[in-house]
Amino acid sequence: MSSPIYLDYAATTPVDPRVADRMIECLRPEGAHGNPSSASHEFGRRARELVEKARVQVANAIGAKPATIVWTSGATESDNLAIQGVARFHADRGRHIVSSKTEHKAVLDALKQLEREGFDVTYLRPGVDGIVQPEQVREALRPDTILVSLMHVNNETGVIQDVGAVGRLCRERGVLFHCDAAQSIGKVPVDVEAMQIDLLSMTAHKAYGPKGVGALYVRRTPPVGLRPILFGGGQEFGLRSGTLPTHQIVGMGAAFELAIAEKDEDVDRLRSLRERLWQGIAKVGDVEINAESADRVSNILNVTFHGVEGESLQFALRAVAVSAGAACSSGSDEASYVLRALGRTDQQAQSSLRFSLGRFSTTAEVETAIAEVQREVGRLRQIASG
Amino acid sequence: MARYSPLVIDHFDRPRNSGRLPAAPDVIEASAGSVAQGTSFHLSARLSGESIMAMQFEAYGCPHCIAAASWTTEHLVGSPIEALARWDWRPVAQALEIPAEKRGRMLILQDAVKCLAEIGLQPP
Repeated sequence: MSSPIYLDYAATTPVDPRVADRMIECLRPEGAHGNPSSASHEFGRRARELVEKARVQVANAIGAKPATIVWTSGATESDNLAIQGVARFHADRGRHIVSSKTEHKAVLDALKQLEREGFDVTYLRPGVDGIVQPEQVREALRPDTILVSLMHVNNETGVIQDVGAVGRLCRERGVLFHCDAAQSIGKVPVDVEAMQIDLLSMTAHKAYGPKGVGALYVRRTPPVGLRPILFGGGQEFGLRSGTLPTHQIVGMGAAFELAIAEKDEDVDRLRSLRERLWQGIAKVGDVEINAESADRVSNILNVTFHGVEGESLQFALRAVAVSAGAACSSGSDEASYVLRALGRTDQQAQSSLRFSLGRFSTTAEVETAIAEVQREVGRLRQIASG
Repeated sequence: MARYSPLVIDHFDRPRNSGRLPAAPDVIEASAGSVAQGTSFHLSARLSGESIMAMQFEAYGCPHCIAAASWTTEHLVGSPIEALARWDWRPVAQALEIPAEKRGRMLILQDAVKCLAEIGLQPP
């Protein structure tokens, strides 16, 4: 079998060769191997210069000031730092948090940990379109609410939440607002000032940067109040100890700069490719786009294939690298909690696939994927019912 | 992704006896499971005297289910009807290296085979 076609860009993206070049420059002996915290010599100062340039690049991508950017190991750490950091700092003021049922596990599991420690969390259920209405957030707020955590772009459906409206609401009520924007950069505009976001989680590897590096935007004025979860050398304004990985940070900065510069072109091209993909898939009949009526990012298409069992569908389509709405291939039989929250049955959720396109997707790949889907869905339906 | 044995992949990619035999006086059929459960089987068999002359299946389920139904029909054709009554899930699970967490689905296939046996062994 030839190499599978990669249509799983929402899971992770390949590193853009232009980004890789910048990272490799850092890794070479003549590059920047110094510790960015070693201000006493040229090696350290050279690395620090590169780290600070990347900080500006990342800050520019979200309309922030560079001093608000804290480097982390990725969005999971950023989510944990934001949620646990706020909860522990403000526990004397209140112990209630509002979030939604369709957040990423990095948010949900951080919240579960806080529940074990005595915090109370309200999980809002989105409508069938995947949208959490700002009014739902307003109604969930209590005098002891200290934080609202809501993602910007859902990783399974691509649904874009109106985080600006939620940000305004939280600011009016004096509640901190954290937003997981792991899927947003290069796909939708992000402006932390306009959206009144206090904490924003980011990662490099969803935007053609390397895995293993991310950032948390932390509003500075007035200070958010955040207790670190890692302790050590006091790097990153005391919020995230640990030697900074210069080459990773340089990669993230370069990736974000490219993502913003090429956003409009990428979005238009991917929307057109996604439309072609959907037109081809729709020909098999009895298929539905999940959260079709909502505003969605241009590269994600989550489809329920009625009359086809999910695990067989994914295996039959092994020439196309996609993600299932099911985890049953690991033997757990657990249907996607995101699609279940949107009202899909277990069976429908398991019979759903997420196709996600990216910068290196081609028309030829989309045509091949369509042909695979049409042949295999038809074949499995034939096996199921003659 | 779950790991599938070569035999599962072979039967999944090239299922034997997929389909449904046309209704006829010498054809018996039985079903078990449901789409809502995530697994369903429909079996049909053409009998001649005391023997199974032909057998076909329809299966909605994971690759193990499709492969198991395919393997089972392949092995039951040519057998006496009593073989249906004696059939259980263990040989197919062993042959196809079906993981323990999928054994429940094999019991649904067993239900379909047993149901077929009851019908086939009924006095005319």
